[in-house]
Amino acid sequence: MQGNVLDITTENRHLNGVMRPALIICAVMAVIGFGGALFLANTTEHGIEYLLETYLVSFAFFLAISLGGLFFVLLQHCTRAGWSVVVRRVAEAVAANVWVMAALAVPVVYGIHHLYHWADAGAAAHDPLLAAKAGFLNPSFFIIRLVIYFLVWGVMASFLLRTSVAQDASGDPKLTLRMERLSAPGMILFALTINFAAFDILMSLDPHWFSTIFGVYYFSVSIVAFLAVMPKILYALQMRGVLPNAITVEHYHDFGKLLFGFNVFWAYIAFSQYMLIWYANIPEETEWFLKRQTGEWATVSLILIFGHFVLPFLLLVSRVIKRRPLLLAITGGYVAAMCWVDVYWLVIPEFSPGVARFGLLDVLCFLGMNGVFSAALVLRMRRHSVIAEKDPRLEESLAFENA
Amino acid sequence: MSATYTNAHSYLDNTGDDPAVRAKLVVGDNDFHSVTEKVCGVVERPQPKIWWVVFAISSSLTLVLLATIAYLITTGIGVWGLMVPVGWGYAIVNFVFWVGIGHAGTLISAILFLLRQRWRTSINRFAEGMTIIAVVCAGIFPGIHVGRVWVAYWMAPIPNQMSMWPNFRSPLLWDVFAVGTYATVSLLFWYMGMIPDLATLRDRAKTKIRFYAYGILSLGWRSSNRHWHRFEFAYLLLAALATPLVLSVHSVVSFDFAVSIMPGWHTTIFPPYFVAGAIFSGFAMVVTLVIPVRKIYGLEEIITARHLENMAKIMLATSMMVGFAYSTEFFVAWYSGNTYEAFTFMNRAFGPYAWAYWTMVTCNVLVPQFFWFKRFRTKTVLLWIASVLINVGMWFERFVIVVSSLSRDYLPTSWGYYRPSIIDILTFLGSFGLFFTLFLLFIRFLPIVGMAEVKGVMPQAHLDRPGHRGHGDYHGDIGGAEVLS
Repeated sequence: MQGNVLDITTENRHLNGVMRPALIICAVMAVIGFGGALFLANTTEHGIEYLLETYLVSFAFFLAISLGGLFFVLLQHCTRAGWSVVVRRVAEAVAANVWVMAALAVPVVYGIHHLYHWADAGAAAHDPLLAAKAGFLNPSFFIIRLVIYFLVWGVMASFLLRTSVAQDASGDPKLTLRMERLSAPGMILFALTINFAAFDILMSLDPHWFSTIFGVYYFSVSIVAFLAVMPKILYALQMRGVLPNAITVEHYHDFGKLLFGFNVFWAYIAFSQYMLIWYANIPEETEWFLKRQTGEWATVSLILIFGHFVLPFLLLVSRVIKRRPLLLAITGGYVAAMCWVDVYWLVIPEFSPGVARFGLLDVLCFLGMNGVFSAALVLRMRRHSVIAEKDPRLEESLAFENA
Repeated sequence: MSATYTNAHSYLDNTGDDPAVRAKLVVGDNDFHSVTEKVCGVVERPQPKIWWVVFAISSSLTLVLLATIAYLITTGIGVWGLMVPVGWGYAIVNFVFWVGIGHAGTLISAILFLLRQRWRTSINRFAEGMTIIAVVCAGIFPGIHVGRVWVAYWMAPIPNQMSMWPNFRSPLLWDVFAVGTYATVSLLFWYMGMIPDLATLRDRAKTKIRFYAYGILSLGWRSSNRHWHRFEFAYLLLAALATPLVLSVHSVVSFDFAVSIMPGWHTTIFPPYFVAGAIFSGFAMVVTLVIPVRKIYGLEEIITARHLENMAKIMLATSMMVGFAYSTEFFVAWYSGNTYEAFTFMNRAFGPYAWAYWTMVTCNVLVPQFFWFKRFRTKTVLLWIASVLINVGMWFERFVIVVSSLSRDYLPTSWGYYRPSIIDILTFLGSFGLFFTLFLLFIRFLPIVGMAEVKGVMPQAHLDRPGHRGHGDYHGDIGGAEVLS
């Protein structure tokens, strides 16, 4: 149709063997990370408890990445986006990793009695507030809800990935229509599940505290974390000769723009939550922020303001970094790290008031989960082409330019 | 292949789904000249009878507004239905209602521009005009609510010999800044985007007055390469600056409520929830206005069925966001274990204002559900009715928030039931008069479709060529700046 559009069949579209070193690194990370963390936890006092807590941080962080991927894919279909077709398959794979997160949720359920104060049956007896919520906050209903969330996410992600892969063979544009039509109601399911998942997994760590925006906050974490890691994944693929020409600087530029925009969105949501609670100054709400501005946590809060908002804002506002894939990948990695700090800041103050005891255990646990998550992603992407080969809008995506 | 997906009822139908084909944004046998003819014709030809009829009605209503304001100022706030405990009534409801409507324009012209939604070109001028006018209507209400309007300038932080300053801790003052900034930037954006089209009107002028009026307004625009280059750059910059404003205005408006410790007001989801509601109502108003206008002035080939369908989809999406916020609030009111919060929500749904609450839910959440079906998105009559109902629902949303919370607060002895006075109702109706009067004048004197932008997304602009798929609105070969890659 168009003269100078890239012929996709000339590209290397499969991970045949090129990812073996990466897989080995992932396996080593997983073994050293989880193994080391377990060893360390067993040999220190309260080690297992600390491990459970930091495990929840990394779990919520990697879950956020896959949910961000799921949202991204749903959004591309809802808006009939053209620019993103060449990178959508990778996002679909990230989203489908939510199944791995379902498996990784087992230790959270195992540690429910340590992590969630409300899971302690005796606690409600002395606490009328917990007793009132017991119909919602109880272990069996919590587990049922987790199963429902993961089923909803997993089925949606698998459907989107599988339909897209099926189109690689048939090229049937009706499959695109099918995905578009189902993505709209899918978006509603997504909004409901991520909202309640955020309430369950993170907000209920302090079962007395409540904030209606909390689900939106976790959503903003998830989309920022996803957009932050995407340039890194794409760059890693291109470095190994996969899709060297199909993914262009224009796609990186768009990821940079979206990352900038959603990072500001995160700050907007975080500010809204803080401002309203601070201003109204009601003890039952401020206690949550008081924990986070007491002792060392005050420093972490400042790190978030300057490190998660101000610095990425300054870095990403100009096109200099956005149009340089390596720099964008590095900046994205940094923003992703800040997202992890954000989740850390959501979780750990509940267990360790005043002391931000960041240490080797946190790093090992993160590495372990990173190894499993990344290995699962590579293994998934190996099964099919890494680009939606016969998407009707592929040419548009290949040819598009930011003016 | 495209025949499989597009139904060929009419050449006006460009709502086909074929994913391999981007829909035409201008249908029919149009070229650059015919677009100019059609859009300029609205301004240059005598106005149809219906324009005069509506203008007569709306300008009369404007007089009602002026009369009620005069009565209010000479008599006092007591002419309104305000009472203890409901100290905020229609005026604040109307303020939030109009500011909300004033959100679609800048969203379309700034955010949709950054998101490369080319279809925005046909409707952005129209929506921006509506935005400015809605903000004018909004500004009246807090202005007259201050009681002594002759000292309303005290809201501005002007150094004075009394060393008297506004209360910077008050969200009402933040509103002054937020709405002021928004109005300024929206006005600039609107005007700047209009300059090329004003120049077109100037060049076609047949009378001296027209020539000089449009000549002055078009600031010496000559459509040179350099002009276009700077224009596009300024447009991009203003779009980037206006984008956060779209969110900030209604966030600050939501602070008016949410920073207080009033049950039903103090909830952290308010800022994004208000923004979603504002976009929802703004699009509903655009649809309400654009359907008759495109019909009367024969602009169906430029503001096409697809534009209406897209707006219906945005209304569906924002309706779901608003419904999501309603249910989250309800859930957390229970989850929080806060008796007052839980009471407020039960009271909204089943108390004395239940009629208003269920009107709101019906119009804002149930009615838009019809937009899941293409028939409702593409049948203009149904779409128009739905958009009017959404406007009603969004007014009631603000009514529910303001009045139901205030009428029954912590102390049952001070509960009351608010009823608007006739002056309240007339002032509100009068604000519609002002809105429509200004809007009709806008149609009469200014280009209601961004001609230069629409031309940029027509096939004649060759945007489908590789290397021309960028921002799409201006870039490419408009203004003779064609560079083939």
